Amino acid sequence: MFVLPPPPRYPAAGYPGAPGQGQLIETNNTLTQPAGPEYQLVVGEGTYVLRDDLYLATPPPHPSEAPIHNPNPLATTLSPPSAGTKLSLAVLSPRQPSASRLFRLETANSARSQLPPSIQESPNESNSQASDTGSFNANAIAPSPIEGLNAPAFGSDNPALAVINGKDSKDPLKRRKPKNNIVKSNSSFVSRVIPHESLSKRLQDHAPNGLYAFANVNRALQWLDLNSSTKEEHLTKILFTKAHALCHDVNQITKGPNHIDIVMGFSTGDIIWYEPMSQKYARINKNGAINNSAVSDIRWLPSSENLFLASHMDGSLVVYDKEKEDAVFVAEDQEVVESASVKQEKKTSLGVRKSVNSKNQKANPVSFWKVSASKINAFAFSPDNRHIAVASEDGSFRIIDFLREQLLHQYMSYYGGMMCVCWSPDGRYIVTGGQDDLVSIWSLEDSMLVARCQGHNSWVTAVQFDPWRCDERNYRIGSVGEDCRLLLWDFSVGMLHRPRAASVRQRNSVTSSTVKMQRTRTDGTASRLRSNSNLTSGSLLDDGEVVHAVEPRARTAMLPPVMAKAVDDHPLSWLGFEEECIITTCRNGHIRTWDRPKEGAGSEEAPSTTSASASNP
Amino acid sequence: MASFFGRLKSGGQTSPPTSAAPAKKDPNAPQPTPLEKLLADAGPVRGDGSDKFFGFENVSPADLYCNSIVQCLYYSVPFREQVINFPARSPPEALERPPGPLPRINTDVVNSSNGPITVLSPKGRNSVSSPTTASPRKSIVTPAGVLPPVANKPEDNKDSPEYKKKQAFAAGPVLRMDYENSQAYGMPESLFSALKDIFEAIIAHRSHIGVVSPYKFLEILRQENEMFRTPMHQDAHEFLNLLLNQVVENVESFSRSRVQEIDHKDPNSMGLTVNSPAVVTDRTSSVSTSTGWVHELFEGTLTSETRCLTCENTSHRDEAFLDLSVDLDQHSSVTSCLRKFSEEEMLCERNKFHCDNCGGLQEAEKRMKIKRLPRILALHLKRFKYTEDLQRLQKLFHRVVYPYYLRLFNTTDDAEDPDRLYELYAVVVHIGGGPYHGHYVSIVKTQDRGWLLFDDEMVEPVDKAYVRRFFGGENELACAYVLFYQETTEEAMIKEQEAESLAAAKQTAEVPSDPITVASPKANGAANGHPHLNATTPIAEQDDQFVSLNHAATAPPPIPTTEHTALDHITTNIPILGTRKSNLQSKKDKAEKAEKAKEEKERKAQEKELEKQAKQKRKEMETQRRENYRRQEEELRLALEASRNMATEETKQRKTEEYKRRATEEHKQKVNGFASIGRTSGLSRFRHTSMSLRHKPKFWKKDSDGEGNAQDNGNGNGDDKGEKKNRFSLGRKKSTFHL
Repeated sequence: MFVLPPPPRYPAAGYPGAPGQGQLIETNNTLTQPAGPEYQLVVGEGTYVLRDDLYLATPPPHPSEAPIHNPNPLATTLSPPSAGTKLSLAVLSPRQPSASRLFRLETANSARSQLPPSIQESPNESNSQASDTGSFNANAIAPSPIEGLNAPAFGSDNPALAVINGKDSKDPLKRRKPKNNIVKSNSSFVSRVIPHESLSKRLQDHAPNGLYAFANVNRALQWLDLNSSTKEEHLTKILFTKAHALCHDVNQITKGPNHIDIVMGFSTGDIIWYEPMSQKYARINKNGAINNSAVSDIRWLPSSENLFLASHMDGSLVVYDKEKEDAVFVAEDQEVVESASVKQEKKTSLGVRKSVNSKNQKANPVSFWKVSASKINAFAFSPDNRHIAVASEDGSFRIIDFLREQLLHQYMSYYGGMMCVCWSPDGRYIVTGGQDDLVSIWSLEDSMLVARCQGHNSWVTAVQFDPWRCDERNYRIGSVGEDCRLLLWDFSVGMLHRPRAASVRQRNSVTSSTVKMQRTRTDGTASRLRSNSNLTSGSLLDDGEVVHAVEPRARTAMLPPVMAKAVDDHPLSWLGFEEECIITTCRNGHIRTWDRPKEGAGSEEAPSTTSASASNP
Repeated sequence: MASFFGRLKSGGQTSPPTSAAPAKKDPNAPQPTPLEKLLADAGPVRGDGSDKFFGFENVSPADLYCNSIVQCLYYSVPFREQVINFPARSPPEALERPPGPLPRINTDVVNSSNGPITVLSPKGRNSVSSPTTASPRKSIVTPAGVLPPVANKPEDNKDSPEYKKKQAFAAGPVLRMDYENSQAYGMPESLFSALKDIFEAIIAHRSHIGVVSPYKFLEILRQENEMFRTPMHQDAHEFLNLLLNQVVENVESFSRSRVQEIDHKDPNSMGLTVNSPAVVTDRTSSVSTSTGWVHELFEGTLTSETRCLTCENTSHRDEAFLDLSVDLDQHSSVTSCLRKFSEEEMLCERNKFHCDNCGGLQEAEKRMKIKRLPRILALHLKRFKYTEDLQRLQKLFHRVVYPYYLRLFNTTDDAEDPDRLYELYAVVVHIGGGPYHGHYVSIVKTQDRGWLLFDDEMVEPVDKAYVRRFFGGENELACAYVLFYQETTEEAMIKEQEAESLAAAKQTAEVPSDPITVASPKANGAANGHPHLNATTPIAEQDDQFVSLNHAATAPPPIPTTEHTALDHITTNIPILGTRKSNLQSKKDKAEKAEKAKEEKERKAQEKELEKQAKQKRKEMETQRRENYRRQEEELRLALEASRNMATEETKQRKTEEYKRRATEEHKQKVNGFASIGRTSGLSRFRHTSMSLRHKPKFWKKDSDGEGNAQDNGNGNGDDKGEKKNRFSLGRKKSTFHL
């Protein structure tokens, strides 16, 4: 008879990076100011220097979650999704829609000739131009409503929605707050709320143009004052029981000295609307009543006080109203929707499960679109407030006219999923990053791939335009990735087109003959969807028009980075450009602030920047 | 210990009644495993083996590497088809009806088929199929439905891999592959014939699931390869490389002998009366094209461009590879590893290049690019790195991300189809802290059943996202070690994604129909489940003992729950939301309800599918038209290229001849496990190596200069500092093994 020895267990430690004893107590954030050449980014315009590194403490697991002593590395249970630290920034003083700056740039397009030909030659001018987002011109812009630039508000055609919107706009100064107090809440969803002991004093001390940030780390969400001398001390920290906040967004329209609307999307599918000043909150899509998959990205609809858009991991985009109750969602029969739009929807493979034009607008969701078969990783609103660019795990990125609820284009990554997307400030270009390690630049007007940027050593997790270094012809793009590196790219229209002009033109003709984008090359968005009148099988060819095939490598321009540097020890998850700095965050909770170069016109600029301070995110 | 014996006793008592009468609502009835559930709607067995999900018995702990690799190969559709079709598809009858020493499959089938076999029925599961299964049968009857067994031993935990493996083994049928059919194939006994035996047996068997015990395969492996004879823990990648090379060799030597036979007009060549027609086809097909199938699948061509810095002369050299070994960086992706592989490398100092043009050792720049893309790209992540301070290999836990789809950046400009799309279809995962021990499992995408985890005897369906668990990283014991990418098309990719979403929609629809299970406290045991028996494989001496222990382990019957709870009072599992897992626990009636709903749903889905198909068809026709045009152009281009290649080929041929000769010479001298290969393959061709970018095959340099080789070896002995450390590759590792 054999006697079985006990099966060997994996050692708790003893190999590199073994999981140590997980910390079990709440710890404080730490702030360090590492210095040295490895903390400097050298670019053409000067040197960015690390101002500080704020490390957000990872909260211990909730007591209800027993620590796993001997984890099975092959356990087939799926852990809920988590996300690296991301920031939502808010500046209170210039009370103006964030989108307006982007708009200004586009209107400036008409006067293109007056603009400096290159950023490098005249950094100051480009700065001043970009700085109309700052507080100088803020007052001038603020009163002009963005809707004035002929992008109607979402759902403005639907009287069922208009009623509510109208009601709200009657007393715009008095913001509605959510109902429940989060500190006193006995919800099992919220575990603990830790306000700073001198919260009210710190709020008073906060400069009106100072930067508030909301940052998620693990199951916590922290409200930080980035301009405070003690910025490592959170203003408020919320610990959720189990759910991780994967994404959050601040409403740039409603924010004010006494009010900030922030929505967060959770790994459980829940969404929380939170007002930090009054510590009130409301829970939407409770327990996944409307959609039970995790929320991967969330954003307020541009220029809307109440509506926000959340992308769920099952591939749907859902518009919610912060003040509406949940109702069990049943996909609405498409006949309910106006018949004209139904046809459009069918053609464009955007599955409208509930249209914004639906008569039934008593409860959430406001609208529900099934966009993709797989998870949506990120989306971004265009500066003209008409389009959404949606990056999805199936490797596609789509441009949707959300006002008309139509899919306009679907592009494919070189391979692998798309991770992030953003629009150029003038709305002409879209930049995506993905699992092909590439940053890809797409032109909306030409509906084609402009260039691929190769330089990351791993997946690209976030891309941003630096609006302070963009003008009509030159664009500064930043990207961060799983390779812990920040890359900066200078992309100028001339630079790409001039040397390759011939080949670019030829490329178009080649692709149109071989790939399915024959008719797409008609210019302008308007004719794009109507050019198929002479074709019999409408739906099919519509599809053919909308979906663009992958461009072979041999035919695309490759762009090298102007700067590439490891800026953290952990994979990065978020990137933001501010007037004075670049901010990067990583998966483990480091927030690093990189000051922009101060040389050159620094003496003159210094006072203006301090007065202007940081501006909108 | 008491519990162990207790189990023995009580198991003996309880097992007969339950296994005899698996009543429908009997709480003690065996619960279907996730795999069985997955296959609940599986129709009759298909002929191509695509619906077979057999685990592999872990015959001895040292043979782990073999199971995972063989699984990966089995689920490569073209590879499997070629294996079973070469030299010719043997009809299952030929193998089952014994005209030789091959009655085993038969016995299995016969024994288990007293009465009609309903493949997944409890009857089938309990059937006695081979001696090994007779005793462990009881493990099926572990009290399942009543309560989650409170367990203190991993084997007792229902969610532990140990338990599942035992159960899988017990459920059988077990194909004990200790026979061989090589004569039926008309070839000598070889690794290939043994592999074919396994594949044939799996395909021929009437069950969808089961366990294979690859005794013969391992026996041949050990016979022929000294290296694998030691009970040392072996490397899965080395095994893959060896297996592919052997298959190439076996197949080739077979066809060569065939050709000879035919040439000699030997009437008895196959013992077939219908000799002539068969031979004719064989000769044309199997010799000229079929023998090349391994190459066609796995082989690609690398071109190394060496530019002499003195005379600026660039020389090119092509080399075939069957898999690529890439060096790893912390926080990188497979894409970047491949790009690094093709980065320029300076040949200087000790590594100087012998330039034919200037006639001497010169500094040079060298880079390797892929000229011909393989259909199946096997990527070996070099996780085992030699560290000089420790004088041994260490495992790198770097986080290396890999996408589901891949294209290669490092192709030459004239490569054919440089934008070829690859999809990830199998991952071999190494679990453990070091290179000398650990465990291998594989995760494989099957044709129509999604991703499956193959862990020895256990086969379990897993979510697609599970594949991404093995990027590696600080706290990850289990990391991907070999990645298999196979060529695919964008259309196939889109189709698959649509199917996935459909399945996902179905699943989410099913979940609410079964709400209790979500709350079931047992649903998640695996989360704090249990370690692998093989986690720290005891090496060497204990080996033999372990073989028998393994068998013993399957024997002891489980304790009934009552006793369990009495004895143990430790773990309580905490519920974790896991819809997938929760399905497991659904009660039978619930399952029925769900099934009805599913049927309804399926009907609808089918309608939709039809609609979609029609649409797809139209679309395809449309694209085809465009495609045709493109193809015409392509063909023209190819023709031009071919003629050009022809010219270069001739010159190349002459060169290769020379270097083949040298290579084989060198290989014979080399003290490594491949020595035996060199013996037979020397005649025909240069050996296929796995290419690692850093580790340039030695015979290359040898080719250009004799001294280079010696220097190269010098590096290998560790007198190189700094970055050259990571140039260690497996070839050298071997030598440390034998030290």
